[in-house]
Amino acid sequence: MGMFWEFFSFEIKFRLKSISTYVYFLLWFALSFFSVAAEDFGPVGNGKVLLNGPWATATYYTQFCLFGIIVIAAIFGTSILRDFQRDTYQLLFTKPISKFAYLGGRWAGSFVATVFAFGGMLFGEMAGASAPWADHSRIVSGHLWWYIQPFLSIVVVQIFFLGSLFFCVAALTRKIFIVYLQGVALFMTYIIGITVFFATRSLEHFWSGLLDPVGLLLLDNVSRYWTVVEKNSLLTTWTGVFLLNRLLWMGVGGAALVVVLALFPMSVEALTAVSSGKRASRATQLEQEEVRPKRSLVAAKLPTVHQVFGPGTGWAQLVSLTRVRISNILHEIPFWAIVALLIAFAINNGYFAGRLAGRDVWPVTYLMVQAVEGSAFLFFFIVATLYAAELIWRERDTHFDGIHDALPMREVTDWLSKFLALAFVEIILLIVTMLCGILMQTFQGYYHYELGQYFKELFIVAFPQILTFALFAFFIQTVVSNKFIGHAIVLGLFISQTVLFRYGFENTLYLPGATPPYIYSDMNGYGHFVPALTWSLTYWFAIGGYLGVLSIALALRGSDESWRARFRAASQRMPRLAPALAGMLLVVLGSGGWYYWNGHVRNEYLNSKQRRAAQAEYEINFKKYEKFPQPKLIAVDAQINIYPERRSFDGSAWYLLQNKTGAPIEQIHVTDQRQSVNGVTFDRPFHKVSSSARDLYTIYTLETPLQPGEILKMNFQVAFASHGFKDGNERPELAYNGTFFDSDYFPYIGYNPNVELDDPRRRKEEKLGPLEELASRGDSYYEKVSLFTADSDWISYHTVVSTSRDQVAIAPGDLKKEWTQNGRHYYEYDMGASKLADFFSYLSGRYRLKQDQWKNVKLEIYYVPGHEYNLDDMLQSTKSGLDYYEKNFGPYQFDQFRIIEFPRYREFAQSFPNTVPYSEGMGFIARMKKPDDIDFTYFVTAHELGHQWWGHQLIGGLVQGSNMMSETLAEYSALKVMEKKYGTDQMHKYLKHELDGYLRGRAGEIRKEPPLVLVQREPYVWYQKGGLVMYTLADYIGEDKVNAALKNFLEKYKFANASGGQDVPYPDTREFVAALREQTPADMQYLITDMFESIVLYDNKAVSATVTATADKKFKVTLTVQARKSKADENGQETPMALNDYVDIGVFTGKKDYEQPLYLTKEKITQEKQTFEITVDQMPTRAGIDPYNKLIDRVSDDNIIDVTKP
Amino acid sequence: MALTITNLSKTYPNGVKALKNLSLTIGNNMFGLLGPNGAGKSTLMRTIATLQDPDSGEIFLDNINVLKEKNSVRQVLGYLPQEFGVYPKMNALDMLQHLAVMKGITNSAERKEMIDALLHQTNLWEARKKALSTYSGGMKQRFGIAQALLANPKLIIVDEPTAGLDPAERNRFLNLLSSIGRNVIVILSTHIVEDVRELCPRMAIISNGQLLMEGSPAETLLALRGRIWSKVVSTDGELVALESAFHVVSTHLVGGLHEVRVFSDADPGEGFTPVDAGLEDVYFLNLSNQAKN
Repeated sequence: MGMFWEFFSFEIKFRLKSISTYVYFLLWFALSFFSVAAEDFGPVGNGKVLLNGPWATATYYTQFCLFGIIVIAAIFGTSILRDFQRDTYQLLFTKPISKFAYLGGRWAGSFVATVFAFGGMLFGEMAGASAPWADHSRIVSGHLWWYIQPFLSIVVVQIFFLGSLFFCVAALTRKIFIVYLQGVALFMTYIIGITVFFATRSLEHFWSGLLDPVGLLLLDNVSRYWTVVEKNSLLTTWTGVFLLNRLLWMGVGGAALVVVLALFPMSVEALTAVSSGKRASRATQLEQEEVRPKRSLVAAKLPTVHQVFGPGTGWAQLVSLTRVRISNILHEIPFWAIVALLIAFAINNGYFAGRLAGRDVWPVTYLMVQAVEGSAFLFFFIVATLYAAELIWRERDTHFDGIHDALPMREVTDWLSKFLALAFVEIILLIVTMLCGILMQTFQGYYHYELGQYFKELFIVAFPQILTFALFAFFIQTVVSNKFIGHAIVLGLFISQTVLFRYGFENTLYLPGATPPYIYSDMNGYGHFVPALTWSLTYWFAIGGYLGVLSIALALRGSDESWRARFRAASQRMPRLAPALAGMLLVVLGSGGWYYWNGHVRNEYLNSKQRRAAQAEYEINFKKYEKFPQPKLIAVDAQINIYPERRSFDGSAWYLLQNKTGAPIEQIHVTDQRQSVNGVTFDRPFHKVSSSARDLYTIYTLETPLQPGEILKMNFQVAFASHGFKDGNERPELAYNGTFFDSDYFPYIGYNPNVELDDPRRRKEEKLGPLEELASRGDSYYEKVSLFTADSDWISYHTVVSTSRDQVAIAPGDLKKEWTQNGRHYYEYDMGASKLADFFSYLSGRYRLKQDQWKNVKLEIYYVPGHEYNLDDMLQSTKSGLDYYEKNFGPYQFDQFRIIEFPRYREFAQSFPNTVPYSEGMGFIARMKKPDDIDFTYFVTAHELGHQWWGHQLIGGLVQGSNMMSETLAEYSALKVMEKKYGTDQMHKYLKHELDGYLRGRAGEIRKEPPLVLVQREPYVWYQKGGLVMYTLADYIGEDKVNAALKNFLEKYKFANASGGQDVPYPDTREFVAALREQTPADMQYLITDMFESIVLYDNKAVSATVTATADKKFKVTLTVQARKSKADENGQETPMALNDYVDIGVFTGKKDYEQPLYLTKEKITQEKQTFEITVDQMPTRAGIDPYNKLIDRVSDDNIIDVTKP
Repeated sequence: MALTITNLSKTYPNGVKALKNLSLTIGNNMFGLLGPNGAGKSTLMRTIATLQDPDSGEIFLDNINVLKEKNSVRQVLGYLPQEFGVYPKMNALDMLQHLAVMKGITNSAERKEMIDALLHQTNLWEARKKALSTYSGGMKQRFGIAQALLANPKLIIVDEPTAGLDPAERNRFLNLLSSIGRNVIVILSTHIVEDVRELCPRMAIISNGQLLMEGSPAETLLALRGRIWSKVVSTDGELVALESAFHVVSTHLVGGLHEVRVFSDADPGEGFTPVDAGLEDVYFLNLSNQAKN
């Protein structure tokens, strides 16, 4: 024991003397500290979850532990290796020491030291919680256990398990290479494993949680549906999966200790044989060579050589130096470790290039480049940072400087060789990255490699940025007196860009090495981003070059490191360097000046804070006019000319405005949120009263007030012209190919609440109160206002739009005429008698057209060549949607239905009247990997088509709940179209994803969760929950009943307020619920109360299922199920409810996930536990309660279990 | 060729005066530079090797201003620093190739011939493809010698070149140097007096940054003839007594007894016997004279 203590205390002392221990401690301290003290630093983010609450703490610790793998490997691995590296093992193992004392002492010492280092997390959190600037509304004090329990159950267990494992491997292999690599290897394997798991989109929660050695999946599985209240009060207790996981991995750790104790040899011979065999034999070999030849002592005459010094020699020197430097780097193991990591990440990310928002798409080249480059960029910078330092310091570090510095070469040659060597290894990395991309495209069965695109992105866009960064690093390493200080400064520089940007310093010209954001699009290539990108790259590269020349001047040569000497050397070198320096400066000033002129003079520059301030100012100044009586827009006529090559458009238009109030209107207020409206005039005398900054809000007074019912004509110009380029924030609406702008560019009558900021944190920053909630149903003002466009009810619409000759221009309405004039392409669209919401769009692009017909409706898809993948799918979906919707809801109101592709600067599909712009980044490249995959393109198309009824026929008032009458109903409609294609049994999978989406959505709620009929701004409620409960209701009361309710409701309320005259109330969810209740039998009415008007959660579970054969060769299943039901409030606080519910009870054949029903009936459940006896004809395999997850159940995978023999 | 050093002074930022107004002229042939550690030898050598600038003074290599036209000096320079390292994963052959290119030997046949000759000469031929980092201390030193002689340098500066060499290699190296050294300037700094006696027609002793003496070893020895006396004593007490009474040049341990050498124009008596003066006596005498002054 005394000896154990000796080793133990030695290890502790060694660690306490070692600076790395404190570095680790500080690292963890800082990470935890900022996670709590700065809400947007850590993984918890915006919202109401406590920043130092139990869930937040568990999340921090788990994520830090992932990176902790490498630290744990470093501490435990080296503790055993030290003796072998320094050859002290010969001294040690010739002494009589016990194996237990030696291994145990080293292990225990490492363990304590690691726990101390990781304790930084604990103290960091505590310190962060008392930082004065932290958000103290999200910090609690007095819960010491909330820090300690996660630390013990996550961090300490992790250290025990991984530490023992690494210790075991290190002790048994005794190879430095393995010791350093095992941590990285495990880290990589884990990252890859976890992403591969996510790739399967599995909703499996038990095995993945149990087998997860780090705990990311485990924590997610335990807490994925926790609401705010739960996240702020529950610890991950040692029960269930969590307990099993901890036991399993502690067991593995214990086993590793047993193994090392059993297998570690305690004799010098055995140890030497493995550890230094090679090295020893190499040394002996060299010694033998020493003694071999017998040579003359007389010196032979050396041959005569000729020295030549000229430009040719300079070049040869450069080549030779560069080769030596490259060879130095390529001979280093760390370099190849970085390459291996890069490959691992690139392959891993490349695997996901074919997934967007959780859905499979074709891994087109821009996605693949983005995926592999995104992960590789960090490595490009790491290599630049590390090797810039190595290259600058190499001669001094290896003490070769005495010889090297006295070589007859110019400083330029030496410096350039360093730069070229670094450029060369970066090129290797770039090529490796590219190959990974191509490999992963091939792997995923996509063979359209666009090599030009790889080249452009990696070598023209990324490479200069890397070189610029390398030049900075070279300069910094040249002027600092210590390599590690240099690293710290370079790292600071690297981080500064992100940090400064976050705090509102967004100007590309002063963010080190920054480029403005750009997006590659198949429709446009790099498009309009090219000039800004080119000039910013040039600007920063020239700054790098300038610093490069300074680095040459200041380069240390010889042994005198004093600044006096270096400045003297610099002044001697300067005459030859001055022209280059001046040249670089000229390029900096030229490119920077041009950039400044474009980004800050020709175009107004506002950073995001200033833009938010403008939004806030609008709200502060003009919200008072929100209910100010205004006439409503009833007709729009516009002549629009699009100039795609200039990213501009202009046009003239008129509005008809009708006074639908009961009193005369004197003032007309106009919001111009896009700065695109000019020359407003009215058909009667008027004058401008006031106008705010950027003409955002202008007030006109009519000389003669507009009488009730009277109509006013308003003429105006609408135009937007792009000039040069902007410093970020280019308008995505305007593109060389794929212009897509909407009625936002047109004047809005009155105050537009859509301009308001909605992020609670941003509102706080701007000193605005909480975002005003939507009015309650029945609000006397808002019930008469349209949900979508407060300034209008329904309009009639006519437009003539022109574009360049090679493009097609599209707007809502039926195409009346198409012609060419003055080299331009003209189109006339007219809605005729059809009314539409004041919501129209203009698109222009070089499209190909795919046409089809459904009854008398013309179907058209405008797409770009190469994106043919899903055209038939979209058409098919449209046709079956039209079938289903016309049959069940009512007629389609237009003669055409169009889908138009637009650039992926924005990624959504949006339903305008008879026109659906659809981003090139979504449905067009979507891909079905397996035949039974869910076809999201089909679904989205059906959903957008559904909006032609729910949104373009039926519109609710601007009150709580109305959004569900468009989104939920479109979602329900699309689900039904899906069901027609895939059959009821297949819908099970889709419903499970809807359920998961809803539960995750509410877990991430940052305000509060409303019931469906009172939904305001919660997409997970109106999409996932809405779709699910509507589908379930149809299942419970019958599809025909629900559709009848929808039909009646639509019939009654469609085109509300379209007829002119004074406004009447729009429908709201009270009427909608009434329509549903009318069709619902009395004993099912509770469903509407629970699912639509409350937040109700079930906890259904199959407890046991046994089968016995009956006398008549049938099978009797005895199934015991458990059911619970509770009601949640807006924060997720639950209270139990009494059960009196119909729930599916089912018995199935077929294996898990491929169940076929033998028996499926709704049973009335009144008790928590109930047993059913069911006789079926076939041998059953599975049985359970609510097997199809129709009800909202937080643990959805325990509803069915295997049927067993008793 | 001649190297003329005039009034060279250098003070380091920490206050150490490495060179004090030192002047020296060195012609072709081997020149030995003797001095204790910290005498300023390395500073002087680095300054001549263009790696450092003095605070004042001038150095001319014939017409070349060494302090201003550094690259001209570097073209004719062969320099072996006192301590040096190597790029770890390179082998001797590649490294010499590289250095030969750097030294302007553009003809590859010449380059090969020279490198082969040097590898044989320094007994590194067998190990030429081994990584330099696996070399023993002596092998590394020999590599250093090889690289210094690559381009028929006109000015060779070797700082403690024989340190770490075994006797056979040391002799071989000294032979090599002397075979080259007749027509070029070779400055050999060392504290091993033997090296200088064997090789150098001329020598200088510096200490504390100052030149103590300059001349040919033979002449200086001549001046000491008959003035060095030796006696063997057994106890420390006797040693102390002699030190106070005579101008002691040096003491050595011989079989556990102290051999004391003193400088005296006449026979000091007391059992002293006359001995032949060695270069070492010159060296110690100069140092002790400086200490007295």
